[in-house]
This record gives sequence, C-alpha cells and structure tokens, in this order.
Amino acid sequence: MSSNPGVEFKGGMYTFMSLKLHTSDKDIIDQELANKVQQAPAFFNNTPVVIDLSVLENLTDGELDASSLIECVKRHNLVPIVASISNKSSQLARSIAIPLIEASTRNSATARDGVNNAESPPEAATESSQNSVEQNVSEAQAIDELSVSQEVEYIVKAPLLVDKPVRSGQQIYARDTDLIIMDQVGPGAEVIADNNIHIYGPLRGRALCGVSGNVSARIFCSSLEAELVSVAGNFRMLETIPEELRGRPAQIWLDKDRLNIEPL
Amino acid sequence: MTKTIVVTSGKGGVGKTTTSASIATGLAHRGFKTVVIDFDVGLRNLDLVMGCERRVVYDLVNLVNQESSLHQTLIKDKRIENLYILPASQTRDKDALTIEGIARVMHKLKKSGFDYIVCDSPAGIEKGAKMALYFADEAIVTTNPEVSSVRDSDRILGILQSESRRSKMNETPVKEHLLITRYNPTRVKDGQMLSVDDIVDLLAIPLLGIIPESSTVLDCSNEGKPVILDDESAAGQAYSDAIDRLLGESKPHRFMETPKKGLLSRLFG
Repeated sequence: MSSNPGVEFKGGMYTFMSLKLHTSDKDIIDQELANKVQQAPAFFNNTPVVIDLSVLENLTDGELDASSLIECVKRHNLVPIVASISNKSSQLARSIAIPLIEASTRNSATARDGVNNAESPPEAATESSQNSVEQNVSEAQAIDELSVSQEVEYIVKAPLLVDKPVRSGQQIYARDTDLIIMDQVGPGAEVIADNNIHIYGPLRGRALCGVSGNVSARIFCSSLEAELVSVAGNFRMLETIPEELRGRPAQIWLDKDRLNIEPL
Repeated sequence: MTKTIVVTSGKGGVGKTTTSASIATGLAHRGFKTVVIDFDVGLRNLDLVMGCERRVVYDLVNLVNQESSLHQTLIKDKRIENLYILPASQTRDKDALTIEGIARVMHKLKKSGFDYIVCDSPAGIEKGAKMALYFADEAIVTTNPEVSSVRDSDRILGILQSESRRSKMNETPVKEHLLITRYNPTRVKDGQMLSVDDIVDLLAIPLLGIIPESSTVLDCSNEGKPVILDDESAAGQAYSDAIDRLLGESKPHRFMETPKKGLLSRLFG
C-alpha cells in the first residue's frame, strides 16, 4: 500500500475578496465595476469573489433577479464562486445558480470586518453614514445609526464556559467560539473549540483548538499533562512534549506549521 | 425522605458488592430501614455476600415485571433488624430492566417507609450500570488505587453528571463520594499503587473512606457476612467510619499509614 493517499480532505481557511452589492440596479453595478476594473485590470482578471448579498436581502422582498446580477459580475472578468446569504431558504436564495453559504451576520462576514475596524470604530460608523446618501440626517438619527452599526460590528459569540471537571469519555465542543474550563480536564476527556481553549486546572486529556482551521487559535492551561494538544490539525502527543514543560502552566500555539509550547 | 445511594465504579472487581453489603448493613445497624438492590441481573452476587442465597425465591426482574409483590420478593436479613435484600435474577439479563419498571419498584419501596435504598451497580457503563445509577441521590464511587480503576471511575462520574435522573431533570446534582478500596499503604510507599492524594487529585470528589486491603474481606464474603460486622478488622472499622461520614459526621481518615513498626525502628528507622 502506498503511504501517500491519492486524495485528502482537510479543513482550511482561505482569503477571498468579497463583493458586497449595495443596490439591485444592474446599470449602476455595471458602471461601477467597469470603473474599478479599469483601475487595475490585471488584479481583477479572473479573480474569484464571494458575492455578499446581505444588504440586498434586506432591501428587496424576493423580487430580485439575482442570477442576472451575477452574470453582470462575470462580464467584468470576475469569477463569483459562492454567494453569501443570511437565509438559505429565501426566495432570493433559490434564484441563485452558484453555491450558497449561510452567513450569520454575527460571525463570518461582519466579524471579519469587525476585526479590521476594531481599532477605529468611529470610522466604521462614518463610512456607513456616507453610504446612506442622506447627509443631513438629524443628530438623533445619526446616534441611532451609530449604535446600530456598532452593534452589528461588535457582536461576539459568548465563550462556552464549563465550571465542572471534564471527565474521562466526555467531549465538549465550543462551536465558533472560545472554550473556558474552570476545572480539570481528566485523562481520556476531549475538549474542542473553533477558537481558543483556556483551562484553569490540569489538562490531562486531549485539547484541540482551531478545529475548523483557525491557525491563530491557542491553548492555555494551568498544568500541562495532556495526552494530546492540537492547533488547527497540527498535533503533538505527550511523549513529544519536553519533560521540563510538563505539569507547568503553558500555552500552545501555531507558528507557521510548527506547534509551539511555551511555559506561561 | 428516602435516600437512594448507588455504589458504582465502572471497572469490575473493585469491591462494589462488598461495599454495597457493608454500607447497607451499616445503615441498618444505625437504625435506618434499608434495602440493598442487586442490579447485576444475570450474575447475582449480592445474595452470596449477604449470606441469603438459599432464601431467594423471587427477584428484581419478577418485581419489575409485576410477577411478584414487594413483600414476597424482599428478603429480610436474619442478623440485622431493618435490613432487606432485593436479589438479582440469574436467569435473565439486563434487557429485562426498564426505567419505568424500576421507577415503579422505587416508588413502592419509598411508600413502604425505607430510609435508604442502596443500589449495587454491575460493572461497565452499559445499560445495567445506567439503570442502577439513574435514580441515585448520592453515589459512592468505589476505586482501587490503580490507574485503570481511577480512569473508569472518572468515566462513571461523567455518566452520573449526564445520565442520572437528577441531571436530566435539572435538579441538584447527585452527591458524589469517593471510597478507596484495597488500599495497601506499603505498596503505595513502594510506588506500586497510587496514593490517596493522587486519587483525590485525579477525581476531584470528596473522600468518604479508605478501606485497607485485608484477607478478612475475602473471608467474610466466603462466609456470607458483610465485612462491616467484623468490628475487629481494619476493613470493618473503615466501613464503619465511612457510614459515620455518610451520615454527616467528620472523622479523620485512618489506615493510610504503613503498619506501625516497633519503637526502636520508629526512633532510628
């Protein structure tokens, strides 16, 4: 048997450009895309894009001809690979021929924006008020809009908190968020998170963070005695953890493809 | 108020039946009306340890299937007032038990004025063990001082937290007690066995007692006499201490040290 498999499925994160449509007016989209592409034709040549329909979804009530909009995007040498939509079963969703991803407004698209804008929240607010053409909004409205826009930008999914020991044979998974354990993780137990894992007690079982591909996720524990630690699929067993790090507070993170373990 | 206590461990052969027999006997001896139920349907051991194997007519499965009455099925202990044994069936298997059926039995026992129902769990984490722990208010987790036994106890604690009636009904969780059996301080000192501190650290539940390893335990089992009745023996005294702690008394733990040496070797050793 060959040791190299022919195919291999792996979870991973890739960066794509997303194209957010603010209007359903094909002529405007056509015109604006033409201008953009003209500025950097090489950059936009056959570039895969994610079509973000979150704004249009709210503007229209199912009357939208989404496929002709996507055709229009294609004419400018962009390759729409997937459409991001908040409700996969809507009328709009059914009219789209390319694959769909369901983007809950809290996590995927806006969370990324949120990170980018985290250092300058006021800017994000001004940007959104510029988009909304009306410059002469009353002050009350402006404040209202600011709080609404901030809410959208900064909603963060609460971490999963466990305040009891995680016993052998138990498995705890924090989807899309951090996992905080206020007690020990027993041998044979498994704690899993899409984001960071914090353990305020001995880690004696297995801890796997960033399981859906988040390479910047970390594991923190107050005593490292783990059977296995893993960040985004890169794992190490206890035998390969240096003796001097065992039984001490430690953090585990991924530096490129290398799993680092460092005392805290 | 009737209290239901399950004696469980995950691993087999660690002393669940010995413990069930002694705990039930100890509670009855203190004046509580107590019944001990053998949940190990198909293997039936408790009646042997309790010395009533010749008096078994009906069993738990008959009672669950409403083929016999409570009065017919319970065996009254000949030594201790207030103590009853509900034996397991040897001819059936664990599939004969249902939650509804057991609930009916538990209800009848409560109506009959029992103070304590002690459930002797079978080994493993399958149906029989889950049935035994389902109705528990308290759990005595029996552990030997070795890694695999501790690991299995950790597993059963997880099951207590997720599959007991109390957890499913979102009531206050089952109260957990750790009972370390077959403890041999000399072998702990030699590093052949885990120490009490290691086990408590690994399982993180309160310690109910430490039963020292002793040949008396086996002798008593063969005789059909719960070891707690042998108040000369260290094991009997240790079980007696555990009963006091179970009833809320605080007592220092004994039998953790290696047997005392002579005065000279203590001075110079």
